[in-house]
Amino acid sequence: MATAAEKSTKERLVSVLDDLEVLSRELIEMLALSRTQKLPQPGEDVQILEVLVQRDREFQELMAVAQSQGKLHEEMQRLEKEVEKRDSDIQQLQKQLKEAEHILATAVYQAKEKLKSIDKARKGSVLSEELIKYAHRISASNAVCAPLNWVPGDPRRPYPTDLEMRSGMLGLMANLPSNGVNGHLPGDALAAGRLPDVLTPHYPWQSSDVSVGMLPPHHGSDLGLEPPGHNKENEEDVENMSTDSSSSSSDSD
Amino acid sequence: MMATAQTTQEKENEDWSLLPLVHDIIKCMDKDSQDVHQELAKLKSKIQEAREQISNMPGIDCSPQEQQQQLCTLREQVRTKNQLLHKYKGLCMFDVPKAS
Repeated sequence: MATAAEKSTKERLVSVLDDLEVLSRELIEMLALSRTQKLPQPGEDVQILEVLVQRDREFQELMAVAQSQGKLHEEMQRLEKEVEKRDSDIQQLQKQLKEAEHILATAVYQAKEKLKSIDKARKGSVLSEELIKYAHRISASNAVCAPLNWVPGDPRRPYPTDLEMRSGMLGLMANLPSNGVNGHLPGDALAAGRLPDVLTPHYPWQSSDVSVGMLPPHHGSDLGLEPPGHNKENEEDVENMSTDSSSSSSDSD
Repeated sequence: MMATAQTTQEKENEDWSLLPLVHDIIKCMDKDSQDVHQELAKLKSKIQEAREQISNMPGIDCSPQEQQQQLCTLREQVRTKNQLLHKYKGLCMFDVPKAS
């Protein structure tokens, strides 16, 4: 059951106003009636008047309370706006913190990956001189760069040609016939001495040092580590670089 | 100035009193004046005006106690949120080491 304290001010005001209306109407009707006839209950009009006065006073007090509530309501609206602003500030801060967290997580992950790569590299470190030596050996066969005197039409290629493959160990083991050439004899196979002299072509770009049949046979038995071509120069370079520690560009750990 | 404000408040309260109108009606009835109907109409319009005023007044949908409670809650909310924002904005930032 709702008590007077729990009723809203509006409800109380409306209730009191209704009472005032009813009481004032009754009083006026009673006074109008008393002119023509005697009142059945004498003094009733006084009672009604007293209640009317009481209700009127109550109504005025309630109106004062309502006005003060109105002022408090304005304060509450101001506070609500402030709460909304704070909420939006908090949401903005939350977004920024989320973004920062994401950036930091990415940075930490990348840093960890980098550290792993560093550890891996340290474990599998290779001497820089070895690397340079191998680089020289690989590039000595002109596989990464054309020789300086290469011109269009030169049969030399950066990969083993058909004839070279057949002239190699695998080809010889299989007893594959080596066909006549049409000028596609690479200089390295020729220098290796794997081809008969009659098959040596004559090319204008061959140096005067390399004459027909005058090429020394290849001495090395290993197939991969001693590439033909400008071997001696490269080997000298490699040996110089190997022995000259000051030329190393990086220290291997 | 305070007396003036109090007088103004009393005047506002008296404005809502229906007793003067009832008194005028009774006086007219005593005099058997034709203005009775006019006074009755005034009373009715005054009551209607009061009803409209009541329906338009803000903040009276709850009791004063409830309103006080809501006000305290709002103030506490504002204080808490301000505290939270102050705390997180004042967190220690990362110290970026200067490049040597």
